[in-house]
Amino acid sequence: MVLLPAILAGLLAGMARARSFGRPYQLPELRFLWLVFIAFLPQFAILYLPGLRRQIPDSWSAILLSASQLILLGFAWLNRTRPGMGILFAGAALNFTIMAANRGFMPISPRTAGRLDPDLDVPPGSRFGLKDILLPPEATRFEWLADRFLPPAWFPYQVAFSAGDVLIALGVFVLLAHQDASTRNST
Amino acid sequence: MKNQLNLLALSASKIDRRHIQAFFLMVSLVMLVLGVGAPEDGGGNIR
Repeated sequence: MVLLPAILAGLLAGMARARSFGRPYQLPELRFLWLVFIAFLPQFAILYLPGLRRQIPDSWSAILLSASQLILLGFAWLNRTRPGMGILFAGAALNFTIMAANRGFMPISPRTAGRLDPDLDVPPGSRFGLKDILLPPEATRFEWLADRFLPPAWFPYQVAFSAGDVLIALGVFVLLAHQDASTRNST
Repeated sequence: MKNQLNLLALSASKIDRRHIQAFFLMVSLVMLVLGVGAPEDGGGNIR
């Protein structure tokens, strides 16, 4: 859920920018939107429907997750000329790389996961949360791309995120905040 | 009842096509970032 505030912040920044230009806010024009719906469908099924999630083996979940991310990467690539989409593409590519290299899931170390769930008692190699897999750093490929970043311990909402997630948040923020100044006062 | 239905139909006709497009764009962006992102808050743990 840490990525959704980036969307909201981008919207608000874009609206403020449009207002400063004296014209209505314009959402970005994106092509091939239907690709996103097709790509997200399997993720929704295997990650957000608990009944289905328990029935599908992890190996299949990993394949479906990777296929879904590949299609989303394709969508970002097809729209790469939009401001911010290149940054988002880079973040998505980083996340895809580390997940593909680690059994199809995002690695998280037991120590980092322990911050999110102090009662955690599952062996390494187990799935954790929606897309993560518990792996010790020494058994993780591209460990520097893993869910290894945490907010300060005093922060009320604890979430682990990756370098790719940071780029994705930045990319979607820029995408929504950008307003073309060339059409200033055109209305 | 009929008046309410008429009111509903009138309200629906006032929905601009651009609003629907904007709605789908925002839904798509939410799905995109949720789809390519992988932050974890431990909320969806599988045990």
